[in-house]
Amino acid sequence: MERIKLKINGKQHELLVESHEMLSAVLRDKIGLTGTKIGCEQGTCGACTVLAAGKPVLSCITPALRFHNAEITTIEALAQNGALHALQQKFVGKGAIQCGFCTPGMVLTALDFVNNHPNPSIQEIKEALSGNLCRCTGYKKIIEAVASYAAGTPESKPAVRQAGASAVGVSRPYIEAGKKVCGIAEYADDLRIKNALNCKFLRSIYPHAKIEDIDLSEALKLEGVHYIATGPELPVKFGVLPISQDETAMAIEKTRYLGEIVAAVAADTASIAAEACKLIRVKYRPIKAFLTIDDSLNDIGDCEKIHDYGKFNNNVHKKAELRFGDQQQGLRDADLSSKMTFEFQGVNHGFTEPHAATAYWDENGLTMHTATQVPHYLHRSLAKVMGVPLSRVRVIKPYVGGGFGGKSDPFPHEVIIAHLARKTGRPVRVRLTREEVFLTNHGRHPSKMTVEMGISLEGIIQVLDADIAIDGGAYGSFGVVTSYYNGVLLQAPYKLDNFGFRTFRVYTNKPQCGAMRGHGAVNSRFAVESLIDDLAHRIQMDPGEMRMKNFLDANTLTVGQYRITSNGSRESLQKVMEQSGWKERIGKLPPGHGLGLACGFFISGSALPIIWNELPQSVVHLKVDFDGRVLVTSGASDIGQGSDTMLVIMVAEVLGIDPELIFVLAADTLLTPVDLGSYSSRVTFMAGNAAKDAAENLKSEILTAVSAHKEIQESELNLVGSRVFSNDRSVDLSWIEAVDLLIAGRGAVNVSGKYISPKLGGDFKGAGAGLSPSYSFGACVAEVQVDADTGQVKVLQVWGAHDCGKAINPMAVEGQLEGSWHMGLGQALTEQMRYFNGLLVNNNFLDYKIPTSLDTPDIHTNIIETIDPEGPFGAKECGEGALHPVIPAVTNAIFNAIGVRITKLPIDAEEVLRQMSEIKKTEVSSESNLA
Amino acid sequence: MNIEKTYFRPQSIGEAVQLAAGHENDFRYLAGGTDVIVNKFQETETSSCLIDLTGIGEMRQVQTLDHCLSIGALVCLDELKNYPVLAVEFPVLLEAAQAVASPVIRKTATIGGNVLCENRCSFFNQTEWWREAVGYCLKCKGDICIATGGTENCFSKFASDTAIALISLDATISVLEKDAAYVVPLEEIYTGDGIQPRKFNKTTLIKSIEIPLDRGFRSVFKKLRQRETLEFSSLTTVVTTDRQGKIKIVLGGVDPKPVVITGKVGDDPKELIRKAVKKSRIVNNDVYSRQYRKDMITVYLNNSFEALAR
Repeated sequence: MERIKLKINGKQHELLVESHEMLSAVLRDKIGLTGTKIGCEQGTCGACTVLAAGKPVLSCITPALRFHNAEITTIEALAQNGALHALQQKFVGKGAIQCGFCTPGMVLTALDFVNNHPNPSIQEIKEALSGNLCRCTGYKKIIEAVASYAAGTPESKPAVRQAGASAVGVSRPYIEAGKKVCGIAEYADDLRIKNALNCKFLRSIYPHAKIEDIDLSEALKLEGVHYIATGPELPVKFGVLPISQDETAMAIEKTRYLGEIVAAVAADTASIAAEACKLIRVKYRPIKAFLTIDDSLNDIGDCEKIHDYGKFNNNVHKKAELRFGDQQQGLRDADLSSKMTFEFQGVNHGFTEPHAATAYWDENGLTMHTATQVPHYLHRSLAKVMGVPLSRVRVIKPYVGGGFGGKSDPFPHEVIIAHLARKTGRPVRVRLTREEVFLTNHGRHPSKMTVEMGISLEGIIQVLDADIAIDGGAYGSFGVVTSYYNGVLLQAPYKLDNFGFRTFRVYTNKPQCGAMRGHGAVNSRFAVESLIDDLAHRIQMDPGEMRMKNFLDANTLTVGQYRITSNGSRESLQKVMEQSGWKERIGKLPPGHGLGLACGFFISGSALPIIWNELPQSVVHLKVDFDGRVLVTSGASDIGQGSDTMLVIMVAEVLGIDPELIFVLAADTLLTPVDLGSYSSRVTFMAGNAAKDAAENLKSEILTAVSAHKEIQESELNLVGSRVFSNDRSVDLSWIEAVDLLIAGRGAVNVSGKYISPKLGGDFKGAGAGLSPSYSFGACVAEVQVDADTGQVKVLQVWGAHDCGKAINPMAVEGQLEGSWHMGLGQALTEQMRYFNGLLVNNNFLDYKIPTSLDTPDIHTNIIETIDPEGPFGAKECGEGALHPVIPAVTNAIFNAIGVRITKLPIDAEEVLRQMSEIKKTEVSSESNLA
Repeated sequence: MNIEKTYFRPQSIGEAVQLAAGHENDFRYLAGGTDVIVNKFQETETSSCLIDLTGIGEMRQVQTLDHCLSIGALVCLDELKNYPVLAVEFPVLLEAAQAVASPVIRKTATIGGNVLCENRCSFFNQTEWWREAVGYCLKCKGDICIATGGTENCFSKFASDTAIALISLDATISVLEKDAAYVVPLEEIYTGDGIQPRKFNKTTLIKSIEIPLDRGFRSVFKKLRQRETLEFSSLTTVVTTDRQGKIKIVLGGVDPKPVVITGKVGDDPKELIRKAVKKSRIVNNDVYSRQYRKDMITVYLNNSFEALAR
């Protein structure tokens, strides 16, 4: 320990620190300034950036003692006397904040940059921010915010709402944006619960091994160690899908992947817990590991299966197959067909906030604060594994630093700390390292598929067939759904009469895969869009025109009996073709340049719940009391996509009141009604509809009360502009006056609203997969430049359009679209999970390559509105589907540029060169043949 | 059981050297520390004593001496652009510095630290848990090179971009050791052994870097990487010519040490390039394959010679 003096945010501190303690730890743990975030502990994400001795410093890799006697500025110091700094106002006003986890570092980096470069170009801004990763925004709105701040234009106050103006369709910052931009929004690891122990895990060093012995004796002797748990203490299996609950909290008897938790230590500090993990001696007996799809599809002979599951002697987890129409006839009817084999590496969500949680037990049973997308399923899993009634579990979601599907399963670390907290009688907290986040995975499945499409010479699709295998890793997760989605989500946006698929999901001895943005259909969509591009090229038809000919109409059924309601496919494609100058530019670009396009669609929430029951998919409560405030309680999980704000807008719109009168309490399973969670792009549609329903019920209560007190027909009354008035203005009440009438003799009024999907779909097995009350549609055009010498691909621009039904909050919708396209570009160009003998090689943000601001092209964002008949105010999904078209748009552009067809992701420069040289050889030989 | 950790931040070179002598067996000098601290987290660096050099003002100066520019080893990579002489005389050094890591890291990382940056490998720059799982490699006291399966040589990649530029400019470094001070051409400090990539012992300090002035250098810099920032090099090439007609090719990222080929104007560039490729001991320890990086040497150098001819 050494004494250090720091002047932090203008205040002198003198304290003792460990000699090698990092500045971030001092700020967060000793001073309590948790606005400084820890995302990677490697200096690659930038979330920990603070200003120290006058310049931006990565506080998680800088020793605190370096700054003895220096001045430190953290995000908490920027706002003065409650007023946001001008740059913070820009971040809020421009929608540059989604999950908010990168925001503190981003703001401080930008502030220092603009102070030193008063008139930056956009390119300079991109360069300056390129050491701060953002996974939500695609950087576009961040760059706009910084540029606007640098230009000195004051951020205009949000326009005062005109009385009667609508709340829906108006861009507004997230209600919590101010909190996030000040660094005072509490994320799971920011929570400081008194007397908490810290948890660390010992993880398997073999992909598949019998655990012969675990010796805890040395570890238990370490001072500060309170409890060490091993697998047999938590024998109950769990998993997000009831049909594949195959995971225990820690390995029991054997380990199934490199990185699986074998033991867990609760200790006074994280470093003691880590030290104790090193003292645990585990005797393993490695057995044959299965690391590839092919290994796991085959009969395994005398070897041991990964799971004792399924009737065949292989590691197949799930086979899904559906066929519609007559594919053989379709092939015969086709004038030409194309069949290609595709291969995709796994990718990871890459949210900037690592998993973190705190658990404790008290008179209410178990309370769990955790970074989760689905409090409800975690609630159920914890009750099951802990062996307590559902009434003894409370899950609270704090602010969450991004999820993208990666925080939507119940996780071992959550179960384990619940157990450790019970055993020790103390709160227990955990934060995973970035490496552990990657090992936890649940990312997109590595996949292989052979897909065939036949068309007529007129460009009409006659048949589509897909044969798919996906690598699930060691456990089930969402895998059964993923298996179906790979196939069923090909039945739109094009009309198909003869369509079929078969998917195998296999277990392998690798970290498990699950749901990730665009769940299940990103890779197979890529295949289909590549085939269409190929076929259009071969019949010399414009690929946009061919798609236009094949689009499903609105208000129709697909071959697998999906009910398509609103459908903006045509408008989306038309928009991006016009905006990119497609018709004028295609075929006329300089050498090495190309344009490509592709389309996609996605579900707006699954019509069937994961756990089959008769509960509504979402319930929202509203309470109004003497103060006039409307309290919205909802189980929906805002993970940065803006769902809390969406709820406010829904309620404000129906009640005609100012959004400031509305307060949201969300995602606390003790206080809020069930919402199934933030997955499958369901929240705006389902929780939004429930909120709208609740608000309509409240409105009706108000009308009844006012009507009774004022002796006027309900139909004469209006709720507009925070007033309740009759058409003839004989009754004209302020909101609070109306509320007084409502609660007179009754007290606070509570109402409830719900959403239940209509009954949909066919009556065949598998008909439920991918059923949704509504579907989103979209299209992208990409422009690329390919370097003929190196094979390197640069995406120059992306034009995207997405039919979200109705943009409830256009700025938030744009943010979702831009983030989706950015994430898709990552999968296209640089992202992949690389394994060496089952060991993940690139388990950090240096080697797992999320595109930086410099790597992200200009993105042109278009919202298409089709007003869905069942969506709340016409709204449907916008958070996932947009990702689908962008990847094939890029690779189709490569084909347009240089004639190389990409069938493996991520795009590999070496493969591009190899194909280019083959094309050259063919050209030379055909020329010599001609000669 | 735990050895007590210590941290010092000396204000002069003399003080630093003295502290180092007192902790000879278990210390590490820290310049910016942006790599060393990460290595500490990953436990490839376990010294209990850190001697932070960033308080030493005399190592932070840039000055023009007789026929050379002297850059203090602790000048931050980001600060180099504040010296107009660099943009005029050695733009390639600015380009190389700008290609290192990310903007925010460059505000802490120093040129001396970058020149001494530890060699890297996919199988070495990992956590202790990971290295145990893969089976420790030669560079962390194991028996086998994971990348090649060999048992003799470690081929961890030379990772400094600025060193590649500096060597092409015939830079020398002023070195302080316990009992000696001397000047040595930068390219001579590297051993080619991936495990011990430098001839220095732990107490060796680089005080400053000197680059000759008035040589009429012209250079082309290229770096192979997947992203435009936040990347260690998969291949860095610099070709520099001077007024006398000297050609110097320097490669990084493809061998445990910088690959240096010299020639003179009039030499067949193809022959020089062939020599450079041949001298590079590339193995599969990078996101790009061995073959691709090898092919790119030729492509990059061809393009560099073309650019110089313009």
